[in-house]
Amino acid sequence: MTKTGLAKTGMIDFRGVNKWFGTLNVLKDITLSVEPREVVVVCGPSGSGKSTLIRCVNGLEAIKDGDLVVDGQRLGDPATNMTQLRTEIGFVFQSFNLYPHKTALENVTLAPIHVRKIPRAEAEKAGRELLAKVGLADKVNAYPAQLSGGQQQRVAIARCLGMRPKIMLFDEPTSALDPEMISEVLDVMVAVAEEGMTMMVVTHEMGFARKVAQRVVFMDAGAIVESGTPEEFFSHPKTDRSRAFLSKILRH
Amino acid sequence: MLENFSFRTIVEYLPLFGQGLITTVWLSALSFVGALIVGIVLCAMNLQRGWLFRVPAKAYIDAVRATPLLAQLYFLYFGLPRLGFVLPELVVGILALSLNSGAYIAEIIRAGILSIPRGQVEASVASGMTYVQRMRLVVLPQAFKVTIPPLLGQGIVLVKDSALLSLISVSELTRAGQLLASDRFMPAEGFLTIAAFYLLLYYGLKGLAGVSSRWLGTAGART
Repeated sequence: MTKTGLAKTGMIDFRGVNKWFGTLNVLKDITLSVEPREVVVVCGPSGSGKSTLIRCVNGLEAIKDGDLVVDGQRLGDPATNMTQLRTEIGFVFQSFNLYPHKTALENVTLAPIHVRKIPRAEAEKAGRELLAKVGLADKVNAYPAQLSGGQQQRVAIARCLGMRPKIMLFDEPTSALDPEMISEVLDVMVAVAEEGMTMMVVTHEMGFARKVAQRVVFMDAGAIVESGTPEEFFSHPKTDRSRAFLSKILRH
Repeated sequence: MLENFSFRTIVEYLPLFGQGLITTVWLSALSFVGALIVGIVLCAMNLQRGWLFRVPAKAYIDAVRATPLLAQLYFLYFGLPRLGFVLPELVVGILALSLNSGAYIAEIIRAGILSIPRGQVEASVASGMTYVQRMRLVVLPQAFKVTIPPLLGQGIVLVKDSALLSLISVSELTRAGQLLASDRFMPAEGFLTIAAFYLLLYYGLKGLAGVSSRWLGTAGART
């Protein structure tokens, strides 16, 4: 941390981060610090930049200016080994992105074996345990196409946990799921959070936020508009924009 | 009409057709392997971000696709010796087919790679894989599967294109038909027989593609 010349940082530290897609300012002067073991839920209307925000953390998107320090390493710094840093960051996608040509177990063990260089037998043992933990002990040899959406997303979470990451990022993990499958995925996410994982979760699932999040960050038009505890945010939103947003997602 | 058709002569010439068939098979097989190598190298060059490799690869692919194979073959056969490279006609033939088919295969493989959803690359990037690991473990195994049917098509084209080598006096299958046509003035017998053999090769290749498809498994269905 001292080598970056910055003061004490959290696990994920955005300082005045800006990003443009062409002329569109998709992230506007973002300053946000996520502490170790903290769970931060990011919500906001479609196109508000919340996915872009977490995709910057593991460098799937590059930032234009400002500082983004993750696990003590400054992104974009030549001294930062992005490939190495990514092994410490799990990323769960909205559309799962499991490898279709690999079984559930192979999906979980692929990166541990080839990236972490863990011996195959050991990786497979850990993989089976992780699949059991997400409730899929009987699906170890199933291919993604043979699994439901909820099951695929649980495999995807196990795939991230197989790398023993310090941080987990979730990009709308339940948005592509049928309603009856949402809770099985959220239950796994709650379990991961309760084990002390540092998490940034883009979601509109208020039940999840209330249960495990220390903080809810509300974004609109690329900027962080409001930030507070789930209780504060959902019960007493402070801005017009967050009130308008909440009235839309709460109406039904 | 059929009373003029001499099956006896065909049977008499069968050893010649057999030799031609064998030559066509092995020179096509060798050329296909060569074309795969040329194609993979060209495709890798073509997918680079920097222009240094991409531009020459594109120029080569365009040049090959824009010109007739016969012209390319004649350039190698008649042109190269004038530039000081004298090669046996068989080598020239295999070289021409490899270099020609390679350009098409490069595009087939590129299309296969580009057909892999972006999410697959992102998932492997996010798990800390290097470019080479990503390609080897995630992208190429999936791309290879979607690439088999068009590769088979290219293989069939290559076998048929190999008939042009008869023009530089390689004794392959079409050459055998030509011999029967010119020795005995029996073009119907000669060319119908080689057509039957090409059909046989076609079904052989189709069977091979089916086997390799099954061998790669059916489990890779996209979700």
